[in-house]
Amino acid sequence: MINAFPQIQTIAGKEVRDAMRTYIIVAVAGFLLLAALVALAVSGIALQAQVAAYNEGRDQLIALGQPVDNLPPPTFVPLALLRGFVEQIEIIGAVLGIVLGYRTAAIERGRNTLALVMTRPLSQAAFLAGKIGGNMVLIAISLALAFLAGALGIIWVAGVSLSFDEWLRVFLSFLAATAYAGSFFLLGMFLAFHLTRLPHALLYAFAIWLTLVLVAPQIGDTMDPDNQVAGGVFRKMGIAKAQEREILATFSTYEYTRNAIEEMSPAKHFERLTFALTGIKDTYTGMAIGSVLYEKQRDWLSLMGIFAALSLLVFWLPINFTRITKET
Amino acid sequence: MEGAFGLRPAAHVMMAALRTALRDSTVLLLTVMFLAMVLIAAYLGWAASNTVEQVYAAAVTSMKAHGQKPVDNPLHEMSALALLRNMSIYVALLGALAAIVFGHLVFATDRKSGVLPLVASRPLARTDLALGKLGAVAAAILFLTLFAAAVNVITLLILPNLLMTPALWARLAGFYAASALYMMAFGFLGLACAVYFRSESLALLVPVTLWLTLTFMMPQITANISPMAALNPLSATAAVPGGPFFAVTSTLLGPLSLAEAYRAVSSALLQLAPDNQPHQSFLGALAILIAAAMLTAAASIRAITRFDASRSDYRD
Repeated sequence: MINAFPQIQTIAGKEVRDAMRTYIIVAVAGFLLLAALVALAVSGIALQAQVAAYNEGRDQLIALGQPVDNLPPPTFVPLALLRGFVEQIEIIGAVLGIVLGYRTAAIERGRNTLALVMTRPLSQAAFLAGKIGGNMVLIAISLALAFLAGALGIIWVAGVSLSFDEWLRVFLSFLAATAYAGSFFLLGMFLAFHLTRLPHALLYAFAIWLTLVLVAPQIGDTMDPDNQVAGGVFRKMGIAKAQEREILATFSTYEYTRNAIEEMSPAKHFERLTFALTGIKDTYTGMAIGSVLYEKQRDWLSLMGIFAALSLLVFWLPINFTRITKET
Repeated sequence: MEGAFGLRPAAHVMMAALRTALRDSTVLLLTVMFLAMVLIAAYLGWAASNTVEQVYAAAVTSMKAHGQKPVDNPLHEMSALALLRNMSIYVALLGALAAIVFGHLVFATDRKSGVLPLVASRPLARTDLALGKLGAVAAAILFLTLFAAAVNVITLLILPNLLMTPALWARLAGFYAASALYMMAFGFLGLACAVYFRSESLALLVPVTLWLTLTFMMPQITANISPMAALNPLSATAAVPGGPFFAVTSTLLGPLSLAEAYRAVSSALLQLAPDNQPHQSFLGALAILIAAAMLTAAASIRAITRFDASRSDYRD
């Protein structure tokens, strides 16, 4: 019996070397890093502007001899600076996954090497495992660089050091991002290995990306009754939060549908989990990691479930080597 | 010069490009997706407004039960056109992406099929070729826009309790004209890149990256609007944070921020936030949209007239 591990290792190594030579992957990963860092830098600058406005207001009150107690200082949660950063990962991280998935199949199809590879004593499962392994390493490296730069950026922008607990939160967010981008990689690869026309694979993958990452969360958001009026319906009517909840309880079916549409989106699960872990969502600020993971188990289980389901699909459906040859 | 059937050569090129594009399932898929989103946007507008009416009725009951004096329905302060705010999101997302892909295919199909050396050997002026291709992109975008407008007109006519005045119909027409301009800017960009780049991957990746940058990155730099919120036209009315950084970026980069300009124009025309003014002036934002469409059209014409037909195939 052939030991498949060295074969998987060889294919994975070749994937990494090939991708590093392709400027497109470097360009997409570089764009992801740039977008994430710009988001972080802008958040830092906005916070500084907020602090400066507070200091100015406080100085004016002191100069007028009035008490400053009524002027609340801006709250500062270091990891909350990652809001724009996380949203950029949500959008561009998925694109990185799709581009890698498409590329890994397209290079084999473009060179007509698939049928040749399969004449060797190599199982399809080992071939796919090597492809997935190599590309997941690339995704993990790209995202690890982005998250490391993000964490170091917080230290630099905010002038604070991160505690072990905060590093752990960043690490867990990185793991969620890897599963999220990895799911889009599997989707891109699956479509590029199974559709007869290769360009359609890229287009379908982008259509799914658009629907799940940008449209579905937006539909959930715009269906929110409170978002139908600028400033919010309840605020305009002078209704307090508790009374708002009481009123909305009678619209449970509508709210359920709205939430179900949002939950179709892996991006929403990634966002909800990371926003809770990093304290961007203020109801989770200061909550212990274990409690956050317990409360957000639906989100991290969904992310893992999507990744596992797509992996199963990739291994379960055999590639028809005679049907997919050179790019058509 | 007139060709067969009395058509100018540019019109022939345009008709041929449209016929070829209509046979491409990629174009059909994107068109169907966009049109489906138009229908969904119309339904969502109706469903959300209907729910707010019910929420208002429940709120009035609750306020009376709590001994509070009910207030007027805030939805009635909104313009009837505010129902269509999802449309501006789908134009900015699907419309712009569909336009890029269509602009790309209009020229890339010719490059890949190898017909360009033959076309170059015929008595066809390059400007006619360029105008024909631009015309095909513009015609496809106008078709999408008119379909979306027709669906919205029907929605506004059949919904009860909506008072549509001539001024509101004019605003709706203006919104669709601005949407067509926005999509054309991206369509012509896709076309220019399909002509200019030697690699097809780059020809697609560059306009998509520019779209990502303009839609999700630029609003953050100029107005600290987070990437996901950047899609919402209401974000056009969010206050720009104070401080020298945003003062400089909004002044210097604001005119380049095409997505922000489209949001500002949409927000003003659809009267999404009548109490708040967008941070870009309406005329300034409209000028940006017109300038972007004209510049990308000029770039396409320049690229096509200078294109070397003897080396037309893509390297990848």
